[in-house]
Amino acid sequence: MELSRPWRVIGHSLLLLASLAVLVPMVFVVGTAFKPPPEVFRLQPWPDAPTIANFAAVLLDTPFLTFFINSAGTTVLRVAGQVVVAVLTAYAFARWRFPGRDLVFAIVLGAMMIPHQLTMIPNYILITRLDWFDTWTALIVPHLAMPFGVFLLRQHFLAFPPELFDAAEMDGAGSLRTLWSVVLPTMSAPLAALTIVLFIDTWNEYFWPLLVTSSPASQTLQIGLRRFLEEDYANYAGLMAGVTLASLPALAVFFALQRRVIHAFMQSGLKG
Amino acid sequence: MADQVSVDAKAVAAGTGRPARAARPAATRWEPYLYLLPMLLLLGVFTYWPLVHTAYLSLTSWNLNPDMPIRFEGVANYGRLVGSTLFEAAAVNTAIYIVASIPLKVLLPIPFAVFIWGLGPRGNAYRTILFLPTLISFVAVSIVFLWLLNPLGGALPQLAQLVGWRMGNVLSDTDLAIWAILLISTWKILGFNILLYLAGLSRINRDYIEAMRMDGASDYRIFRHLIWPLLTPTTFFVFVATTIFTIQQVFTPIDILTEGGPSSSTTNLFYMVYQYTFRTFDVGLGAAGTVLLFVLLFVITVVKVRLLDRRVHYQQ
Repeated sequence: MELSRPWRVIGHSLLLLASLAVLVPMVFVVGTAFKPPPEVFRLQPWPDAPTIANFAAVLLDTPFLTFFINSAGTTVLRVAGQVVVAVLTAYAFARWRFPGRDLVFAIVLGAMMIPHQLTMIPNYILITRLDWFDTWTALIVPHLAMPFGVFLLRQHFLAFPPELFDAAEMDGAGSLRTLWSVVLPTMSAPLAALTIVLFIDTWNEYFWPLLVTSSPASQTLQIGLRRFLEEDYANYAGLMAGVTLASLPALAVFFALQRRVIHAFMQSGLKG
Repeated sequence: MADQVSVDAKAVAAGTGRPARAARPAATRWEPYLYLLPMLLLLGVFTYWPLVHTAYLSLTSWNLNPDMPIRFEGVANYGRLVGSTLFEAAAVNTAIYIVASIPLKVLLPIPFAVFIWGLGPRGNAYRTILFLPTLISFVAVSIVFLWLLNPLGGALPQLAQLVGWRMGNVLSDTDLAIWAILLISTWKILGFNILLYLAGLSRINRDYIEAMRMDGASDYRIFRHLIWPLLTPTTFFVFVATTIFTIQQVFTPIDILTEGGPSSSTTNLFYMVYQYTFRTFDVGLGAAGTVLLFVLLFVITVVKVRLLDRRVHYQQ
Protein backbone atom coordinates (compact mmCIF):
# COMPACT_ATOMS: atom_id res chain seq x y z
CA MET A 1 0.00 0.00 0.00
CA GLU A 2 1.14 3.55 -0.61
CA LEU A 3 1.74 5.34 2.65
CA SER A 4 0.99 9.03 2.87
CA ARG A 5 4.01 11.31 3.04
CA PRO A 6 4.18 11.99 6.81
CA TRP A 7 3.85 8.28 7.59
CA ARG A 8 6.55 7.51 5.04
CA VAL A 9 8.91 9.88 6.83
CA ILE A 10 8.07 8.38 10.21
CA GLY A 11 8.50 4.88 8.81
CA HIS A 12 11.89 5.59 7.30
CA SER A 13 13.12 7.25 10.50
CA LEU A 14 11.96 4.39 12.73
CA LEU A 15 13.40 1.72 10.48
CA LEU A 16 16.64 3.61 10.07
CA LEU A 17 16.96 3.83 13.85
CA ALA A 18 16.31 0.10 14.25
CA SER A 19 18.77 -0.71 11.48
CA LEU A 20 21.42 1.36 13.24
CA ALA A 21 20.70 -0.50 16.49
CA VAL A 22 21.44 -3.72 14.63
CA LEU A 23 24.40 -2.53 12.58
CA VAL A 24 26.35 -0.42 15.09
CA PRO A 25 27.20 -3.35 17.41
CA MET A 26 28.27 -5.33 14.34
CA VAL A 27 30.55 -2.51 13.21
CA PHE A 28 32.07 -2.46 16.71
CA VAL A 29 32.71 -6.19 16.56
CA VAL A 30 34.37 -6.22 13.17
CA GLY A 31 36.22 -2.96 13.88
CA THR A 32 37.55 -4.20 17.21
CA ALA A 33 38.65 -7.46 15.60
CA PHE A 34 41.03 -5.41 13.41
CA LYS A 35 42.31 -3.16 16.20
CA PRO A 36 45.85 -3.30 17.60
CA PRO A 37 46.04 -3.54 21.44
CA PRO A 38 46.41 0.20 22.23
CA GLU A 39 43.21 1.02 20.34
CA VAL A 40 40.92 -1.67 21.75
CA PHE A 41 39.28 0.51 24.40
CA ARG A 42 38.76 3.56 22.20
CA LEU A 43 35.19 4.51 21.43
CA GLN A 44 35.88 4.95 17.74
CA PRO A 45 34.67 1.62 16.36
CA TRP A 46 37.12 1.32 13.47
CA PRO A 47 40.91 1.05 13.87
CA ASP A 48 43.41 3.74 12.84
CA ALA A 49 46.11 1.14 12.27
CA PRO A 50 44.22 -2.00 11.22
CA THR A 51 45.92 -5.31 11.85
CA ILE A 52 45.10 -8.93 11.14
CA ALA A 53 47.16 -10.07 14.13
CA ASN A 54 44.00 -10.91 16.11
CA PHE A 55 42.74 -13.24 13.41
CA ALA A 56 46.15 -14.83 13.07
CA ALA A 57 46.32 -15.37 16.82
CA VAL A 58 42.87 -16.96 16.94
CA LEU A 59 43.61 -19.24 14.02
CA LEU A 60 47.15 -20.22 14.99
CA ASP A 61 47.35 -20.07 18.79
CA THR A 62 43.97 -21.61 19.65
CA PRO A 63 42.19 -24.82 18.55
CA PHE A 64 39.87 -22.64 16.45
CA LEU A 65 40.32 -24.73 13.31
CA THR A 66 39.59 -27.91 15.27
CA PHE A 67 36.40 -26.31 16.61
CA PHE A 68 35.53 -25.26 13.07
CA ILE A 69 35.99 -28.79 11.74
CA ASN A 70 33.88 -30.19 14.60
CA SER A 71 31.11 -27.68 13.87
CA ALA A 72 31.19 -28.23 10.13
CA GLY A 73 31.41 -32.02 10.34
CA THR A 74 28.72 -32.53 12.94
CA THR A 75 26.40 -29.96 11.35
CA VAL A 76 26.64 -31.49 7.87
CA LEU A 77 26.20 -35.06 9.09
CA ARG A 78 23.40 -34.19 11.45
CA VAL A 79 21.41 -32.08 8.99
CA ALA A 80 21.85 -34.69 6.24
CA GLY A 81 20.65 -37.39 8.63
CA GLN A 82 17.70 -35.28 9.79
CA VAL A 83 16.58 -34.62 6.23
CA VAL A 84 16.89 -38.29 5.20
CA VAL A 85 14.96 -39.57 8.22
CA ALA A 86 12.26 -36.90 7.76
CA VAL A 87 11.89 -37.64 4.04
CA LEU A 88 11.54 -41.40 4.61
CA THR A 89 8.88 -40.76 7.24
CA ALA A 90 6.90 -38.23 5.22
CA TYR A 91 7.03 -40.52 2.18
CA ALA A 92 5.61 -43.49 4.10
CA PHE A 93 2.68 -41.38 5.31
CA ALA A 94 1.97 -39.92 1.89
CA ARG A 95 2.20 -43.10 -0.09
CA TRP A 96 0.52 -45.86 1.92
CA ARG A 97 -2.38 -46.69 4.14
CA PHE A 98 -1.40 -49.23 6.77
CA PRO A 99 -2.63 -50.43 10.16
CA GLY A 100 -1.61 -48.02 12.91
CA ARG A 101 -1.01 -45.12 10.52
CA ASP A 102 -2.87 -42.55 12.62
CA LEU A 103 -1.22 -43.70 15.81
CA VAL A 104 2.26 -43.49 14.31
CA PHE A 105 1.45 -40.07 12.91
CA ALA A 106 0.34 -38.89 16.36
CA ILE A 107 3.56 -40.25 17.86
CA VAL A 108 5.70 -38.38 15.34
CA LEU A 109 3.87 -35.06 15.60
CA GLY A 110 3.54 -35.42 19.35
CA ALA A 111 7.32 -35.40 19.58
CA MET A 112 7.27 -31.87 18.13
CA MET A 113 5.82 -30.78 21.41
CA ILE A 114 8.73 -32.14 23.41
CA PRO A 115 11.70 -29.78 23.18
CA HIS A 116 15.19 -31.14 23.76
CA GLN A 117 15.47 -29.37 27.08
CA LEU A 118 12.93 -31.73 28.58
CA THR A 119 14.87 -34.84 27.64
CA MET A 120 18.35 -33.59 28.47
CA ILE A 121 18.95 -35.38 31.78
CA PRO A 122 18.23 -38.96 30.60
CA ASN A 123 19.94 -38.30 27.27
CA TYR A 124 23.01 -37.03 29.05
CA ILE A 125 23.03 -40.15 31.22
CA LEU A 126 22.54 -42.36 28.17
CA ILE A 127 25.40 -40.66 26.31
CA THR A 128 27.81 -41.25 29.18
CA ARG A 129 26.69 -44.89 29.59
CA LEU A 130 27.25 -45.53 25.89
CA ASP A 131 30.70 -43.93 26.12
CA TRP A 132 29.67 -41.32 23.56
CA PHE A 133 30.56 -38.42 25.83
CA ASP A 134 32.83 -35.91 24.08
CA THR A 135 32.42 -37.48 20.63
CA TRP A 136 30.82 -36.39 17.36
CA THR A 137 28.29 -39.20 17.82
CA ALA A 138 26.92 -37.51 20.93
CA LEU A 139 26.34 -34.32 18.94
CA ILE A 140 24.77 -36.02 15.93
CA VAL A 141 22.73 -39.09 16.85
CA PRO A 142 20.37 -37.96 19.66
CA HIS A 143 18.91 -35.19 17.48
CA LEU A 144 18.54 -37.04 14.18
CA ALA A 145 14.77 -37.36 14.52
CA MET A 146 13.26 -34.06 13.43
CA PRO A 147 9.46 -34.26 13.58
CA PHE A 148 9.27 -30.64 12.49
CA GLY A 149 10.80 -31.70 9.18
CA VAL A 150 8.05 -34.29 8.69
CA PHE A 151 5.51 -31.62 9.51
CA LEU A 152 6.97 -29.21 6.95
CA LEU A 153 7.36 -31.83 4.21
CA ARG A 154 4.05 -33.58 4.79
CA GLN A 155 1.88 -31.17 2.85
CA HIS A 156 4.25 -31.19 -0.10
CA PHE A 157 4.17 -34.98 -0.12
CA LEU A 158 0.39 -35.03 0.23
CA ALA A 159 0.11 -32.69 -2.75
CA PHE A 160 2.07 -35.17 -4.84
CA PRO A 161 -0.31 -36.77 -7.37
CA PRO A 162 -0.70 -40.48 -6.55
CA GLU A 163 -1.18 -41.26 -10.26
CA LEU A 164 2.55 -40.81 -10.59
CA PHE A 165 3.17 -43.50 -7.98
CA ASP A 166 1.12 -45.88 -10.13
CA ALA A 167 2.96 -44.84 -13.26
CA ALA A 168 6.31 -45.46 -11.60
CA GLU A 169 5.10 -48.80 -10.30
CA MET A 170 4.01 -49.88 -13.75
CA ASP A 171 7.45 -49.00 -15.01
CA GLY A 172 8.69 -51.53 -12.47
CA ALA A 173 10.26 -49.01 -10.09
CA GLY A 174 10.47 -50.06 -6.44
CA SER A 175 9.30 -47.67 -3.75
CA LEU A 176 12.78 -46.41 -2.95
CA ARG A 177 13.53 -45.79 -6.61
CA THR A 178 10.21 -43.96 -6.99
CA LEU A 179 11.08 -41.76 -4.04
CA TRP A 180 14.51 -40.99 -5.41
CA SER A 181 13.79 -40.36 -9.08
CA VAL A 182 10.13 -39.35 -9.19
CA VAL A 183 9.22 -37.72 -5.88
CA LEU A 184 12.38 -36.00 -4.68
CA PRO A 185 13.07 -34.04 -7.89
CA THR A 186 9.78 -32.21 -7.32
CA MET A 187 10.68 -31.44 -3.71
CA SER A 188 13.81 -29.37 -4.15
CA ALA A 189 12.27 -26.13 -2.85
CA PRO A 190 10.88 -27.49 0.45
CA LEU A 191 13.99 -29.62 0.98
CA ALA A 192 16.23 -26.60 0.46
CA ALA A 193 14.14 -24.57 2.89
CA LEU A 194 14.32 -27.29 5.52
CA THR A 195 18.06 -27.75 5.05
CA ILE A 196 18.76 -24.03 5.39
CA VAL A 197 16.80 -23.65 8.60
CA LEU A 198 18.30 -26.80 10.12
CA PHE A 199 21.82 -25.77 9.10
CA ILE A 200 21.64 -22.36 10.74
CA ASP A 201 20.01 -23.78 13.85
CA THR A 202 22.53 -26.57 14.27
CA TRP A 203 25.52 -24.36 13.52
CA ASN A 204 24.45 -21.95 16.25
CA GLU A 205 23.42 -24.54 18.82
CA TYR A 206 24.81 -24.02 22.28
CA PHE A 207 23.02 -25.99 24.94
CA TRP A 208 23.48 -29.62 23.89
CA PRO A 209 27.17 -29.33 22.88
CA LEU A 210 27.74 -27.57 26.21
CA LEU A 211 26.46 -30.67 28.02
CA VAL A 212 28.12 -33.47 26.08
CA THR A 213 31.50 -32.10 25.02
CA SER A 214 34.53 -31.34 27.13
CA SER A 215 37.61 -31.17 24.91
CA PRO A 216 38.67 -29.97 21.46
CA ALA A 217 38.05 -33.55 20.32
CA SER A 218 34.39 -32.62 19.86
CA GLN A 219 33.79 -29.06 21.03
CA THR A 220 32.04 -26.92 18.44
CA LEU A 221 32.71 -23.29 17.57
CA GLN A 222 30.03 -21.99 19.92
CA ILE A 223 31.56 -23.85 22.84
CA GLY A 224 34.99 -22.77 21.65
CA LEU A 225 33.88 -19.13 21.85
CA ARG A 226 32.77 -19.68 25.42
CA ARG A 227 36.12 -21.29 26.14
CA PHE A 228 37.99 -18.26 24.77
CA LEU A 229 35.84 -16.10 27.00
CA GLU A 230 36.76 -18.13 30.07
CA GLU A 231 40.45 -18.47 29.32
CA ASP A 232 41.24 -15.03 28.00
CA TYR A 233 38.43 -12.77 29.15
CA ALA A 234 40.30 -9.49 28.67
CA ASN A 235 41.49 -10.19 25.13
CA TYR A 236 38.56 -8.42 23.51
CA ALA A 237 40.13 -7.96 20.11
CA GLY A 238 40.85 -11.69 19.95
CA LEU A 239 37.32 -12.53 21.10
CA MET A 240 35.80 -10.27 18.47
CA ALA A 241 37.98 -11.88 15.80
CA GLY A 242 36.70 -15.27 16.96
CA VAL A 243 33.07 -14.08 16.96
CA THR A 244 33.50 -12.67 13.45
CA LEU A 245 34.99 -15.88 12.08
CA ALA A 246 32.44 -18.10 13.81
CA SER A 247 29.53 -16.07 12.41
CA LEU A 248 30.74 -16.04 8.82
CA PRO A 249 29.37 -19.41 7.61
CA ALA A 250 25.74 -18.70 8.54
CA LEU A 251 26.02 -15.16 7.12
CA ALA A 252 27.62 -16.53 3.95
CA VAL A 253 24.72 -18.95 3.45
CA PHE A 254 22.36 -16.04 3.95
CA PHE A 255 23.99 -13.70 1.45
CA ALA A 256 24.36 -16.48 -1.11
CA LEU A 257 20.70 -17.52 -0.90
CA GLN A 258 19.01 -14.44 0.52
CA ARG A 259 15.50 -14.85 -0.82
CA ARG A 260 15.41 -18.56 -0.07
CA VAL A 261 16.64 -18.10 3.50
CA ILE A 262 14.09 -15.40 4.25
CA HIS A 263 11.34 -17.51 2.73
CA ALA A 264 12.48 -20.60 4.63
CA PHE A 265 12.38 -18.78 7.96
CA MET A 266 9.05 -17.19 7.09
CA GLN A 267 7.58 -20.66 6.65
CA SER A 268 9.14 -22.24 9.62
CA GLY A 269 8.38 -20.68 12.95
CA LEU A 270 10.89 -23.32 14.06
CA LYS A 271 13.13 -20.75 15.63
CA GLY A 272 10.43 -19.90 18.12
CA MET B 1 12.62 -35.77 -17.28
CA ALA B 2 12.67 -34.50 -13.74
CA ASP B 3 11.45 -31.09 -14.85
CA GLN B 4 8.65 -32.70 -16.82
CA VAL B 5 7.44 -34.60 -13.74
CA SER B 6 7.66 -31.45 -11.68
CA VAL B 7 5.48 -29.53 -14.09
CA ASP B 8 2.98 -32.38 -14.30
CA ALA B 9 2.85 -32.66 -10.52
CA LYS B 10 1.99 -29.01 -10.17
CA ALA B 11 -0.58 -29.13 -12.94
CA VAL B 12 -2.35 -32.11 -11.44
CA ALA B 13 -2.25 -30.73 -7.93
CA ALA B 14 -3.60 -27.41 -9.16
CA GLY B 15 -6.29 -29.13 -11.21
CA THR B 16 -7.80 -30.99 -8.27
CA GLY B 17 -7.97 -27.74 -6.35
CA ARG B 18 -6.93 -29.44 -3.13
CA PRO B 19 -4.12 -31.72 -2.03
CA ALA B 20 -4.67 -35.16 -3.51
CA ARG B 21 -5.22 -37.56 -0.63
CA ALA B 22 -5.15 -41.07 -1.94
CA ALA B 23 -2.70 -43.14 0.02
CA ARG B 24 -3.19 -46.78 -0.89
CA PRO B 25 -2.66 -50.00 1.04
CA ALA B 26 0.93 -51.12 0.89
CA ALA B 27 1.89 -53.76 -1.65
CA THR B 28 3.84 -55.55 1.03
CA ARG B 29 2.79 -55.44 4.63
CA TRP B 30 6.09 -54.44 6.13
CA GLU B 31 7.17 -51.83 3.61
CA PRO B 32 5.76 -48.65 5.24
CA TYR B 33 7.09 -49.67 8.62
CA LEU B 34 10.55 -50.05 7.17
CA TYR B 35 10.46 -46.39 6.10
CA LEU B 36 9.17 -45.33 9.49
CA LEU B 37 11.63 -47.42 11.47
CA PRO B 38 14.50 -44.88 11.77
CA MET B 39 12.21 -42.10 12.96
CA LEU B 40 10.34 -44.29 15.44
CA LEU B 41 13.49 -45.85 16.82
CA LEU B 42 15.13 -42.46 17.34
CA LEU B 43 12.02 -40.93 18.90
CA GLY B 44 11.59 -43.90 21.20
CA VAL B 45 15.15 -43.85 22.48
CA PHE B 46 15.87 -40.12 22.58
CA THR B 47 12.47 -38.46 23.07
CA TYR B 48 9.77 -40.64 24.60
CA TRP B 49 11.78 -42.94 26.84
CA PRO B 50 13.62 -39.94 28.38
CA LEU B 51 10.26 -38.47 29.41
CA VAL B 52 9.45 -41.60 31.38
CA HIS B 53 12.99 -41.74 32.74
CA THR B 54 12.79 -38.08 33.85
CA ALA B 55 9.52 -38.72 35.64
CA TYR B 56 11.18 -41.64 37.43
CA LEU B 57 14.29 -39.64 38.34
CA SER B 58 12.10 -36.90 39.80
CA LEU B 59 11.05 -39.41 42.46
CA THR B 60 14.61 -40.34 43.41
CA SER B 61 17.68 -38.94 45.05
CA TRP B 62 20.91 -39.20 43.05
CA ASN B 63 24.02 -37.14 42.32
CA LEU B 64 24.70 -38.13 38.68
CA ASN B 65 27.63 -40.32 39.73
CA PRO B 66 27.17 -43.77 38.14
CA ASP B 67 28.87 -45.44 41.11
CA MET B 68 26.38 -44.04 43.58
CA PRO B 69 23.03 -45.72 44.24
CA ILE B 70 19.76 -44.15 43.10
CA ARG B 71 17.44 -43.94 46.11
CA PHE B 72 13.66 -43.87 45.69
CA GLU B 73 12.14 -41.00 47.62
CA GLY B 74 8.62 -40.53 46.30
CA VAL B 75 7.29 -37.04 45.71
CA ALA B 76 9.57 -35.44 48.32
CA ASN B 77 11.59 -33.67 45.59
CA TYR B 78 8.56 -31.69 44.45
CA GLY B 79 8.02 -30.34 47.94
CA ARG B 80 11.70 -29.51 48.28
CA LEU B 81 11.73 -27.86 44.85
CA VAL B 82 8.67 -25.69 45.32
CA GLY B 83 9.93 -24.64 48.75
CA SER B 84 13.38 -23.64 47.49
CA THR B 85 14.34 -19.99 47.04
CA LEU B 86 15.95 -20.79 43.68
CA PHE B 87 12.64 -22.13 42.36
CA GLU B 88 10.80 -19.08 43.63
CA ALA B 89 13.27 -16.76 41.92
CA ALA B 90 13.20 -18.82 38.71
CA ALA B 91 9.39 -18.90 38.57
CA VAL B 92 9.07 -15.16 39.17
CA ASN B 93 11.79 -14.39 36.62
CA THR B 94 10.20 -16.70 34.05
CA ALA B 95 6.99 -14.72 34.46
CA ILE B 96 8.91 -11.44 34.05
CA TYR B 97 10.68 -12.74 30.94
CA ILE B 98 7.37 -13.78 29.40
CA VAL B 99 5.32 -10.70 30.30
CA ALA B 100 8.04 -8.20 29.38
CA SER B 101 8.45 -9.97 26.06
CA ILE B 102 4.94 -9.00 25.00
CA PRO B 103 5.61 -5.29 24.43
CA LEU B 104 9.26 -5.83 23.42
CA LYS B 105 9.15 -8.82 21.13
CA VAL B 106 5.48 -9.24 20.19
CA LEU B 107 4.13 -5.69 19.80
CA LEU B 108 7.24 -3.69 18.89
CA PRO B 109 7.81 -5.60 15.62
CA ILE B 110 4.32 -4.71 14.37
CA PRO B 111 4.98 -1.06 13.41
CA PHE B 112 8.30 -2.06 11.86
CA ALA B 113 6.66 -4.79 9.81
CA VAL B 114 3.80 -2.53 8.71
CA PHE B 115 6.20 0.21 7.62
CA ILE B 116 8.42 -2.23 5.71
CA TRP B 117 5.32 -3.60 4.02
CA GLY B 118 3.98 -0.10 3.33
CA LEU B 119 7.26 0.98 1.74
CA GLY B 120 7.03 -1.90 -0.76
CA PRO B 121 10.25 -3.06 -2.44
CA ARG B 122 12.11 -0.11 -0.91
CA GLY B 123 11.51 -1.68 2.50
CA ASN B 124 13.44 -4.83 1.63
CA ALA B 125 16.82 -3.45 2.67
CA TYR B 126 15.47 -2.81 6.17
CA ARG B 127 14.04 -6.31 6.30
CA THR B 128 17.42 -7.80 5.39
CA ILE B 129 19.35 -5.73 7.94
CA LEU B 130 16.92 -6.38 10.77
CA PHE B 131 16.98 -10.10 10.00
CA LEU B 132 20.77 -10.40 10.45
CA PRO B 133 20.73 -11.06 14.23
CA THR B 134 18.62 -14.18 13.59
CA LEU B 135 21.60 -15.71 11.80
CA ILE B 136 24.19 -14.97 14.47
CA SER B 137 24.50 -17.43 17.32
CA PHE B 138 23.23 -16.37 20.72
CA VAL B 139 26.68 -17.18 22.11
CA ALA B 140 28.29 -14.65 19.77
CA VAL B 141 25.59 -12.08 20.52
CA SER B 142 26.03 -12.56 24.27
CA ILE B 143 29.82 -12.23 24.12
CA VAL B 144 29.50 -9.08 22.04
CA PHE B 145 27.12 -7.43 24.51
CA LEU B 146 29.29 -8.55 27.42
CA TRP B 147 32.04 -6.50 25.80
CA LEU B 148 29.83 -3.56 24.86
CA LEU B 149 28.49 -3.40 28.44
CA ASN B 150 31.85 -3.84 30.14
CA PRO B 151 32.14 -1.03 32.73
CA LEU B 152 35.87 -0.85 32.07
CA GLY B 153 36.15 0.48 28.54
CA GLY B 154 33.02 -1.01 26.98
CA ALA B 155 31.39 1.14 24.31
CA LEU B 156 27.99 1.59 25.98
CA PRO B 157 29.30 2.96 29.32
CA GLN B 158 31.59 5.27 27.33
CA LEU B 159 28.67 6.51 25.25
CA ALA B 160 26.58 6.98 28.39
CA GLN B 161 29.35 9.08 29.87
CA LEU B 162 29.34 11.34 26.81
CA VAL B 163 25.77 12.30 27.61
CA GLY B 164 26.64 12.71 31.28
CA TRP B 165 25.14 9.48 32.59
CA ARG B 166 27.22 7.17 34.77
CA MET B 167 26.49 3.60 33.83
CA GLY B 168 27.69 1.05 36.35
CA ASN B 169 28.04 -2.67 35.83
CA VAL B 170 24.56 -3.44 34.58
CA LEU B 171 25.07 -7.20 34.62
CA SER B 172 25.94 -7.32 38.33
CA ASP B 173 22.95 -5.19 39.31
CA THR B 174 20.12 -7.34 40.72
CA ASP B 175 17.47 -4.99 39.33
CA LEU B 176 18.95 -4.26 35.92
CA ALA B 177 20.59 -7.52 34.82
CA ILE B 178 17.33 -9.21 33.80
CA TRP B 179 16.40 -6.17 31.68
CA ALA B 180 19.77 -6.28 29.96
CA ILE B 181 19.11 -9.90 29.04
CA LEU B 182 15.59 -9.05 27.90
CA LEU B 183 16.83 -6.24 25.66
CA ILE B 184 19.59 -8.39 24.21
CA SER B 185 17.15 -11.20 23.41
CA THR B 186 14.85 -8.58 21.84
CA TRP B 187 17.74 -7.45 19.65
CA LYS B 188 18.19 -11.07 18.58
CA ILE B 189 14.55 -11.98 17.83
CA LEU B 190 13.06 -8.70 16.55
CA GLY B 191 13.90 -9.26 12.89
CA PHE B 192 12.58 -12.79 12.91
CA ASN B 193 9.27 -11.70 14.40
CA ILE B 194 9.08 -8.88 11.83
CA LEU B 195 9.37 -11.60 9.21
CA LEU B 196 6.47 -13.51 10.74
CA TYR B 197 4.35 -10.36 10.64
CA LEU B 198 5.37 -9.71 7.03
CA ALA B 199 4.14 -13.20 6.18
CA GLY B 200 0.83 -12.30 7.83
CA LEU B 201 0.63 -8.95 6.05
CA SER B 202 1.32 -10.51 2.67
CA ARG B 203 -1.96 -12.40 2.98
CA ILE B 204 -3.98 -9.21 3.29
CA ASN B 205 -5.84 -8.42 0.10
CA ARG B 206 -4.70 -4.98 -1.04
CA ASP B 207 -8.04 -4.34 -2.74
CA TYR B 208 -9.60 -3.81 0.70
CA ILE B 209 -7.05 -1.12 1.41
CA GLU B 210 -7.68 0.60 -1.89
CA ALA B 211 -11.42 0.46 -1.20
CA MET B 212 -10.98 2.07 2.22
CA ARG B 213 -8.65 4.66 0.75
CA MET B 214 -11.20 5.62 -1.89
CA ASP B 215 -13.67 6.14 0.92
CA GLY B 216 -11.20 8.71 2.24
CA ALA B 217 -9.84 6.70 5.18
CA SER B 218 -6.55 7.86 6.67
CA ASP B 219 -3.51 5.54 6.99
CA TYR B 220 -4.09 5.32 10.72
CA ARG B 221 -7.73 4.37 10.21
CA ILE B 222 -6.75 1.71 7.70
CA PHE B 223 -4.30 0.27 10.18
CA ARG B 224 -6.68 0.42 13.12
CA HIS B 225 -9.76 -0.99 11.41
CA LEU B 226 -8.35 -3.25 8.73
CA ILE B 227 -4.72 -4.29 9.20
CA TRP B 228 -4.71 -4.75 12.96
CA PRO B 229 -7.80 -7.00 13.05
CA LEU B 230 -6.62 -9.06 10.09
CA LEU B 231 -3.22 -9.44 11.75
CA THR B 232 -4.66 -10.80 15.00
CA PRO B 233 -4.02 -14.50 14.23
CA THR B 234 -0.42 -13.68 13.35
CA THR B 235 -0.02 -11.64 16.53
CA PHE B 236 -1.25 -14.54 18.59
CA PHE B 237 1.08 -16.93 16.81
CA VAL B 238 4.03 -14.60 17.38
CA PHE B 239 3.08 -14.36 21.03
CA VAL B 240 3.07 -18.13 21.47
CA ALA B 241 6.28 -18.66 19.48
CA THR B 242 8.01 -15.86 21.39
CA THR B 243 6.96 -17.29 24.73
CA ILE B 244 8.52 -20.63 23.82
CA PHE B 245 11.62 -18.84 22.52
CA THR B 246 11.87 -16.86 25.75
CA ILE B 247 11.58 -19.92 27.98
CA GLN B 248 14.11 -21.98 26.02
CA GLN B 249 16.56 -19.70 24.29
CA VAL B 250 17.43 -17.18 26.98
CA PHE B 251 19.41 -20.03 28.48
CA THR B 252 22.41 -18.93 26.42
CA PRO B 253 22.59 -15.25 27.43
CA ILE B 254 21.89 -16.22 31.04
CA ASP B 255 24.74 -18.72 31.00
CA ILE B 256 27.23 -16.42 29.25
CA LEU B 257 26.33 -13.10 30.86
CA THR B 258 25.26 -13.80 34.43
CA GLU B 259 25.08 -17.56 35.12
CA GLY B 260 21.70 -16.86 36.68
CA GLY B 261 23.02 -14.22 39.07
CA PRO B 262 23.47 -11.84 40.73
CA SER B 263 21.60 -13.56 43.61
CA SER B 264 19.46 -15.58 41.17
CA SER B 265 17.96 -12.39 39.72
CA THR B 266 18.24 -13.58 36.10
CA THR B 267 17.79 -17.34 36.34
CA ASN B 268 14.68 -18.93 34.82
CA LEU B 269 13.04 -22.34 35.20
CA PHE B 270 15.09 -23.94 32.48
CA TYR B 271 18.38 -22.54 33.77
CA MET B 272 17.36 -23.66 37.26
CA VAL B 273 17.02 -27.25 36.01
CA TYR B 274 20.52 -26.95 34.57
CA GLN B 275 21.87 -25.51 37.83
CA TYR B 276 20.34 -28.24 39.96
CA THR B 277 21.33 -31.11 37.69
CA PHE B 278 24.72 -30.16 36.33
CA ARG B 279 26.06 -27.67 38.86
CA THR B 280 24.93 -28.99 42.24
CA PHE B 281 24.32 -32.55 40.94
CA ASP B 282 20.92 -32.82 42.60
CA VAL B 283 19.34 -34.90 39.85
CA GLY B 284 16.07 -35.42 41.73
CA LEU B 285 15.40 -31.69 41.95
CA GLY B 286 16.48 -31.13 38.35
CA ALA B 287 14.14 -33.87 37.15
CA ALA B 288 11.26 -32.55 39.25
CA GLY B 289 11.86 -29.09 37.73
CA THR B 290 11.86 -30.66 34.27
CA VAL B 291 8.49 -32.27 34.91
CA LEU B 292 6.99 -28.92 35.92
CA LEU B 293 8.59 -27.26 32.89
CA PHE B 294 7.16 -30.04 30.75
CA VAL B 295 3.63 -29.23 31.84
CA LEU B 296 4.15 -25.52 31.11
CA LEU B 297 5.86 -26.00 27.75
CA PHE B 298 3.54 -28.76 26.63
CA VAL B 299 0.48 -26.59 27.00
CA ILE B 300 2.07 -23.71 25.10
CA THR B 301 3.52 -25.92 22.38
CA VAL B 302 0.23 -27.67 21.72
CA VAL B 303 -1.26 -24.26 21.03
CA LYS B 304 1.67 -23.36 18.77
CA VAL B 305 1.51 -26.53 16.70
CA ARG B 306 -2.21 -26.08 16.14
CA LEU B 307 -1.61 -22.52 14.98
CA LEU B 308 1.32 -23.58 12.79
CA ASP B 309 -0.90 -26.17 11.17
CA ARG B 310 -3.46 -23.51 10.33
CA ARG B 311 -0.78 -21.13 8.97
CA VAL B 312 0.61 -23.82 6.74
CA HIS B 313 -2.82 -24.51 5.31
CA TYR B 314 -3.30 -20.83 4.56
CA GLN B 315 -0.18 -20.86 2.44
CA GLN B 316 -1.30 -23.75 0.29
